Amino acid sequence: MISYLLQDPAKPVHAMAEGVDQYGQLTKLASTFSHVDNLFYFTYVVCIFFFVLITGVLFYSVVKYRRKTFDQPAVSNRTHNTPLEVVWTVVPLIIVMVMFAWGWKGSLDMTVVPADARQYKALAKQWNWTFFYPNDAVPSSGELWLEVNKPAAFTLESSDVLHAFYMPSMRVKRDVVPGRFQTVWFQPTTEGEFHLFCAEYCGKDHSQMYAKVHVVSADVYRTRPWDTWDDKNPKKGGENLYKSLCASCHTINGTKLTGPTWKDLWGKQEQVVEAGQIKTVTVDEAYVIESIRKPDQKKVVGFEKANMTAFDDKVIDEKRVKGIIEYMKSLSNAGSEKK
Amino acid sequence: MTTNAPAMGVATGSHDTVKKNYLEISKGFWSWAGTLDHKRIGIMYLIGVSLALLAGGVFAMLVRLHLWKSTGVLFDNATYNQIFTLHGVFMVFIFIIPAIPGSLGNMVLPLMLGAKDVALPRLNLLSFYLWLSGTCLALYAIVAGGFDTGWTFYAPYSIYTNQAVVSVGLGIFLLGFSSIFTGLNFIVTTHKLRAPGLTWFRMPLFVWAIYATAILQVLATPVLGITVLLVAFERLYHIGIFDPRLGGDPVLFEHFFWFYSHPAVYIMVLPAFGIISDLISVHSRKPLFGYKLIAFSSIAIAMISFLVWGHHMFTSGQSSYAMFAFSFLTFFVGIPTAIKEFSWVATVWKGSIALNSPMLYTLSFLIIFAIGGLTGVILGALNVDIHLHDTYFVVAHFHYVMMGSIALAFFAGVHHWWPKMFGVMYSEFYAKIACALIFVGFNATFIPQFIMGSRGMPRRYATYVPEFEGFHQASTIGALVIGTGVALMVGNLVLSIFTGKKAMQNEWGGVTLEWLSPTPPPLENFYEQPIVTTEVYDYTTLDLRTTQTPCS
Repeated sequence: MISYLLQDPAKPVHAMAEGVDQYGQLTKLASTFSHVDNLFYFTYVVCIFFFVLITGVLFYSVVKYRRKTFDQPAVSNRTHNTPLEVVWTVVPLIIVMVMFAWGWKGSLDMTVVPADARQYKALAKQWNWTFFYPNDAVPSSGELWLEVNKPAAFTLESSDVLHAFYMPSMRVKRDVVPGRFQTVWFQPTTEGEFHLFCAEYCGKDHSQMYAKVHVVSADVYRTRPWDTWDDKNPKKGGENLYKSLCASCHTINGTKLTGPTWKDLWGKQEQVVEAGQIKTVTVDEAYVIESIRKPDQKKVVGFEKANMTAFDDKVIDEKRVKGIIEYMKSLSNAGSEKK
Repeated sequence: MTTNAPAMGVATGSHDTVKKNYLEISKGFWSWAGTLDHKRIGIMYLIGVSLALLAGGVFAMLVRLHLWKSTGVLFDNATYNQIFTLHGVFMVFIFIIPAIPGSLGNMVLPLMLGAKDVALPRLNLLSFYLWLSGTCLALYAIVAGGFDTGWTFYAPYSIYTNQAVVSVGLGIFLLGFSSIFTGLNFIVTTHKLRAPGLTWFRMPLFVWAIYATAILQVLATPVLGITVLLVAFERLYHIGIFDPRLGGDPVLFEHFFWFYSHPAVYIMVLPAFGIISDLISVHSRKPLFGYKLIAFSSIAIAMISFLVWGHHMFTSGQSSYAMFAFSFLTFFVGIPTAIKEFSWVATVWKGSIALNSPMLYTLSFLIIFAIGGLTGVILGALNVDIHLHDTYFVVAHFHYVMMGSIALAFFAGVHHWWPKMFGVMYSEFYAKIACALIFVGFNATFIPQFIMGSRGMPRRYATYVPEFEGFHQASTIGALVIGTGVALMVGNLVLSIFTGKKAMQNEWGGVTLEWLSPTPPPLENFYEQPIVTTEVYDYTTLDLRTTQTPCS
């Protein structure tokens, strides 16, 4: 019954298969579980005890001492009972001090990053997450891969407003504050797929600022599943890059999001603003490369307020830019005809 | 002779025309709009905050209906964000904060003190018009593009978003001054206008609660005023205090905001405690258990509440030492609150309990507030809060306190003092049904929110992962039941003014001073200066005839 609360919403298949522990709760999915869940269930049981006590006395009194005639006086007019008042002050005080000390100890343990933790970076931006892996040039967006049983520490950065890095299954949450670096860590202990939410309201698509977290074995992790580049098929690689880095702002079906759609974009004559002047450019290789490296240089009219991340060649190198262009061409009649 | 001398105005049917009650004494629009009478101002507040409650309730229903499906039903994301913001702003700033002090406080406090009016009647009217102006600015902001920052206005989003934040900010600034002036007025009134013999420890606990609230209003509200002004300056002149692009600190905004808004929780809840203390004594016909402890705990809560604001920021990255202090003090402030709850239950014990509609609302409050308070203890634990912060668990917790406790106490108070205010009684039958609907609907709405919050459903989401759909639907059905209950309650009360039967002079058998003035009271409340010679809540002095005699 108690385990009904705090269950993992995603019901990860692996965790379900491994059953429940002595508290009747789901298998611990992360190192943080013992800190959060045990104290939660302790406070929860204490609260149920007091709730039953209060409502029990209340219901008994209402039934037993109900006024039958309009002039019925109270059974007792007593207004003090010193021993009782001392007990109901001191006992709750002791209990909440236990909760306080327990919570304080646990939060310290959850703050100190172990020395062998892998150091990731999570970049939050309205409204997507991009993850940078330690010593790895290829980031991923909207998806994150972690190795099971390996502590993962995250440096959190925001490029616009407040966000919060929240993985309910891992019991971690930390605000992402623009202008500050924040740190959060945990050690996933079960393989599976988990939610990563933005928990601090950040504007229009706050509820869609989501990433799927894959906790995988060391063998799978070693294959760098986030890097989907294949030299033989640059268009496919470009499409994957589009999905992880671009799709949150640019559609491929003609719908307008934060940025212009890519449908029929290649070869199009676009009105752009450069240094306050409106110009016309052709969407060609030079313009696409410039827009990836220096997005603020020439903004398309109607999207002047959009604020795109600049990607340097450490993130998207020359061959990957070519892959993106190949993919963009395939979305456009002009692009396909020229071929 | 005790203060409940029949000579003091129990209806005898022989009043001459000079003794018209405050409702009849003058007619016409300006006799209300320009009135200095605390009772008429109280009624204007009552109408105003009730309309705000209904508007906020409509926004709440829209939110709940939209969340019926995980993809959202009614709005696009941007509109949804505006709707939940409107719900929060209307309920917090325009309804809950002024509701009890403005309406019932104005109406009852001078009567309870045996005074002719509040100490500063003109300031009182100014408070009302500031409230009205602030509300109008908030309404204007809806027309002028709306605002989507949430009621918390967190920077830097509130600085970048391209909407009517400045006008709603100014609205809140005016509402803040309305609140400050009301507080000042009640402090002066309580100090200066107590009837002869009404010592501090003979004051009803509603007066103590309004007094403690007034201290908070005067000391905390200026910080809110300064903060919204700074946000407006930041938007208009880019002064760089909160905007990180200009070297400002968004966390500083959170500190400023919660330095007001945590005490504000007690500005909202202390008057509710006061109503419950009074009502539970009257309807149990028993002196309140631990009167002095409850009075002092109100003051203790008022003081400690200034020192716990950081518990809204456990995930913001504040220092571990700050976390230590804020968590400790948060648990500590729970103790005086627990003492109140225990004392109320002990008052019911061995009383003479009348199960009328004000008492049903009061008992509902005791049950719901127990849950609201106890879940607050769960959230006080540092590492548990890290998981639950900004989820529906928090949403459910503060609705248990804000709506389930404070709004229900407000309803209890309105039902309790309704016969005093208007001299008519509503239908008890429908009042009880409305109470039952609200109680059941409320729990059906928010218990599912506790569950999904503990499982990680973040708040302020226009769309959500499909696993939570069942909980959201249960919650929406509950909200529809609350809506039905509130509609029935309002209809029943309004109808009673036209068709209700005459109330008794002392409908519930209260012994505090307001029941000793004629019902409804004359312009200056008492025909002659009441003198208090008995202890508070001494029901041996109750003249039972007054509970059976229809009012004049």
